[in-house]
Amino acid sequence: MRRNALPRWPRASEPELVRHYTLLSQRNFGIDTGFYPLGSCTMKHNPRINERIVQMPGIDRIHPLQPDSQIQGLLAIYYEMQDMLSICAGMDSVTLQPVAGAQGEFTAIRCIQEYHNSNGESNRNKVIVPDSAHGTNPASAAMCGYEIVEIPSGPDGRIDLQALRAAVDGETAAMMITNPSTLGVFEPEIAEAARIVHEAGGQMYYDGANFNAILGKTDPGRMGFDAVHYNLHKTFSQPHGGGGPGSGPIGVKSHLAKYLPSPIAARRTRTEEDPRGVGDGFWYFWEDPESSIGKVQQWNGNAGAVVRAWAFYRRYGRDLELMSEHAVLNANYLRHRIMRNHGDSAMPPMPKDGAPSEVVKHEFTLDMSPVKDATGVTAKDVAKRLLDYGYMAPTLYFPQIVPECLMLEPTETESKDVLDKFADDFLSILSEDPEIVKNAPHTTPVRRVDEVLAARQLILRHPCE
Amino acid sequence: MDQLPNLGREIEMLSEMGMSSIDELFADIPEDVRRNDPLPLPPPQSEEQILADAERLLGANTHLDSRPSFISAGLARNFVPTMVPMLATRGEFLTSYTPYQPEVSQGMLQAMWEFQTMISELVALPVANVSMYDASTAAAEAITCAVRVRSKRSSQPNTVYVSEFVPPHRMSVIENYTQGVGIDIKILPHRDDGTLDLEAAKAADDSCAVYVEQPNAFGSMDEGLMSLRSIIGEKTALIVGVDVVSLGLIEAPGNWGADIVVGEGQPFGIGPTAGGPIYGIFACTKDYLRLMPGRIVGQSLDADGKIAYTLTLSTREQHIRRHRATSNICSNETLIALMGAMHMSLLGPEGLERLALRVTAATQIALETVASIEGVELIYPESPVFREFAVRLPCSSREALERMDSMGVMGGFDLSQWWAPMGDCLLIGCDERTTKEDIESLSSALSASISEVSS
Repeated sequence: MRRNALPRWPRASEPELVRHYTLLSQRNFGIDTGFYPLGSCTMKHNPRINERIVQMPGIDRIHPLQPDSQIQGLLAIYYEMQDMLSICAGMDSVTLQPVAGAQGEFTAIRCIQEYHNSNGESNRNKVIVPDSAHGTNPASAAMCGYEIVEIPSGPDGRIDLQALRAAVDGETAAMMITNPSTLGVFEPEIAEAARIVHEAGGQMYYDGANFNAILGKTDPGRMGFDAVHYNLHKTFSQPHGGGGPGSGPIGVKSHLAKYLPSPIAARRTRTEEDPRGVGDGFWYFWEDPESSIGKVQQWNGNAGAVVRAWAFYRRYGRDLELMSEHAVLNANYLRHRIMRNHGDSAMPPMPKDGAPSEVVKHEFTLDMSPVKDATGVTAKDVAKRLLDYGYMAPTLYFPQIVPECLMLEPTETESKDVLDKFADDFLSILSEDPEIVKNAPHTTPVRRVDEVLAARQLILRHPCE
Repeated sequence: MDQLPNLGREIEMLSEMGMSSIDELFADIPEDVRRNDPLPLPPPQSEEQILADAERLLGANTHLDSRPSFISAGLARNFVPTMVPMLATRGEFLTSYTPYQPEVSQGMLQAMWEFQTMISELVALPVANVSMYDASTAAAEAITCAVRVRSKRSSQPNTVYVSEFVPPHRMSVIENYTQGVGIDIKILPHRDDGTLDLEAAKAADDSCAVYVEQPNAFGSMDEGLMSLRSIIGEKTALIVGVDVVSLGLIEAPGNWGADIVVGEGQPFGIGPTAGGPIYGIFACTKDYLRLMPGRIVGQSLDADGKIAYTLTLSTREQHIRRHRATSNICSNETLIALMGAMHMSLLGPEGLERLALRVTAATQIALETVASIEGVELIYPESPVFREFAVRLPCSSREALERMDSMGVMGGFDLSQWWAPMGDCLLIGCDERTTKEDIESLSSALSASISEVSS
C-alpha cells in the first residue's frame, strides 16, 4: 500500500512562490483592477471587511460537527441571514446550504419534486423554462430527472403568456424564471404567469441572479413565486474568486419548508439551564426539517460566504433598497449614455436595444448586429477591444435570443465618471478602423487565444518530466 | 454609506436622462406586486460596529485550536501556511470572475492549470478539473458521469455499487444527485473486520461503477481495495474517494486501477471553516474526459504564438448544452483550489510525504494511548489507519463527549449520529497539529469521563 514514487511537481521556496503567484496575479483582471460590466453576474465591489472577519478563528477554525453549545455565534449569524433573506424575498423559510446558484436551483427543484411526490403527483415530470433562461436552469432541472419544455419569449424579450398557456398541463411540475428577465427588463405580467402555472398545479421557481435590481421595491413572494434562490456572490458581495466559491441559499413558501435540506438554524428563548449564549436572550440550535431531502452539500453550506454576506448586509440594513436604486440608476444611465445619439446619421453604425423598453432594471442588452452588418465587427470583437481599454468585456452571446448580444450590468458600486468614460470609449471603438477591432486585443498580457487549438491538443497539465 | 460612489449625484444623473426622480426608474413595476413599505430590517451599521458584532458573535464560538481537538470526519484541523491566504486574497485573484476572457485572466488560468497538474500527479490520473463543491458532490457527480459513460455497454445498466461504510452525509448527497436520473445504488457489504467483502463485490462485475473510500469513514485502510479492478472487470468504473494528505504515503489509486478519484481538498489550502467553503477534487482517465463535470483549463497559443491558457471542452457545460449538459455546475470552488495549489507547491513532494508521516505518527500514538484505556477497544483492531480511528466505549459516547467537553477537550465524534446502533462508539481524528500534550489530555479526559459516566 505504500506509495512507490512521490508526485513530481516542482520544489520551491517561499520567496520563489510568493513571486510566482504575485506575478500571476498581475496578469489577472478583477473588480479591484477595473470596471467589470458582466451582465447577470453582479460584479460589485467586495468590501474588505468581509475578508478580515472570515480570518477570525471563530469562523475559520470551527468544525461543522461541534455541538450547538460551542458554535452559538455561527448559529446566530445563520439564523439572522435566514431571516433577512426570507424578508427580502417574501419567503417563509430559508436554507443556507446550497453552495452555488446552480446548486440552489437544483435544491429547490428537488424540494418541489418531493412536494409533488408527497401529494401523489409524481406524474408531473416537466419543467417549463423560457428560451432566455440561464443554462443552469434547464441543467439543474434535468439533474432531477425532469423533461424541459422551452417556451419562446415574446418579440420584446418578455414572457409570452400565450405560449405559456399552451405549454402548461397536468404534467407541469414547475416553471423556472427570473425577474427582471435576462434582458434586464421587468416582467409586467409576472403575476399572471404565476396564476397560469398554479392553476395547472405547478410551482413557480425564481432564479435570483437578478435580485440586485429589486430589493425593497418588490419581491418574488409578492409576484407569486413558491421558491427562490439567492446568489450571495452576486447580490451580497461574496467575492467571485475566479469562478467560485459561490453560495446559493434558497427560500421557500411554507408549504415547501418541510422538504428543505438539513439542518436549518433555529432558536428559542434561552433559559437558565442553557450554557452561555451570545447574549441576545436566545438559544440557537440546528433543526432537521420534517421531511427533509437530506443533504446537497456535506456540511452546512459555505459558512464563510454566509458570514461575508452578513457583514455586507449589516452595512446596509434596511437601506438595501438604496443599493437596488443605485444599481438600477447606474444601468439606466449607462444605457442612456451609450445610446443617446442613436439615430444620428453622423454617428458610426450603432447597436440596437436588445429589448425595447422605457427603462431597464440593473442590466441591459445591446444587439450588435447592425454593427456587424455594416463593418463585419462582431460583438466578440468589440468585447476583445474593450480589454485593450482596460475594461472587462460585458457578457457575450447571452441571452441567446438577442443576436450579437452584449449584456452590461454596471452595479451600484461604479461612479458616474467610470460610466461616462466607458460610454465614450465604447463609442470610439465603434468609430475605429474595423481591422484594429477584429484583431483585438492588442495590449493585453496575451493576444486572442486559440480556443480551437486548446480543445484539439488537450494539454490539460504539465508533463512534469 | 461608503459603498455607493454616486450618492449625492442621483439628480445630476437622472436629469441627463430627462427624469427627476428615482421612482420613475421603477415605474415599470406593476402596482399589484409593488412593495410599498420599507424593509423591516435594522438601520445600517458602520464598519466599526460590524467588526464589534463579528468579534462578539464569532468570539463566542469555541474553535479547534483553543483546546485539544479530535474531531475530523474528513475535515482537517490543518496548518495553512501564512503565504496562502495572503496571496490568494490579492484583489486580482479574489475579485475576478470565471476566466471567460482568457486574454486578461492568464494569472488564474495558469494557476489552475498548475493545480490540475498537481492533483493529477497526486492521484496518478491524467485529467483533473478545477474543483467541485466538496467530496460528496464530487463522489455524486463521479457516479453520474460513470453511468453516462458506461451504461450503454454494461450488463448492469444504470447500476452502481457503493461501500456500506460511505458515511450518511455523503450518501444523502449521492442519493439526491442520482434519484432522478434512474440510477440504482446497491450496497457493497464489509466483513466484521472492517474490510470490504471482496467475495460479495463480485456482484459488481460489469456494472457501471463501484465507489469505495480509502481510508474509509472509520479511518481504516483496506489493502483489499487494490484488487477490486480484477474483480469488477475492465469496463466498470472504479471510483475511489481519498484523503489527499494520505497520498503522501499510500499508493495513488490511479496506480491500482482507479478510473476516477474524488475527495476532500480542504486539508490543502483552508481551515475547517465550519464546513465551507471547501473544495472537492475530481480526476479521471481520458475515457471520462468528454462527459466529466466541471471546468477544465487547457494550454494553447495566442495570436502571436505565445503560450496561453484557456477554459476548454466547454461544450460539456451548462452554458452551451443546457439540459444536456454533463452537470449544472457553474461557480465551483476555484479560489479555494488556488489556495490548495499554493499550499501543495509550498509543501513540495517531500513536504507532502513528511506531512503524511506526521499525521500518521500522531494518529498511531493517539490510537495506542486510547486503546490502552481500561474498557476502551478498537472497533477494527486489524486495520492500519490514517488520520482517524474508531473505538467502542463501555458507556454512551455522547455522554462521554459531554464530560470531556466540560474538561476542555473535544474528544471526537459520536458515531451514533451516523449509524444509530453505534451509541457507544467514538471516531477520534488527528492531524499535523496534534501534540503529545493533546493526546495526554485526551487520554486522561476520556478515562475520567468513562469512570464518571459508568458510575
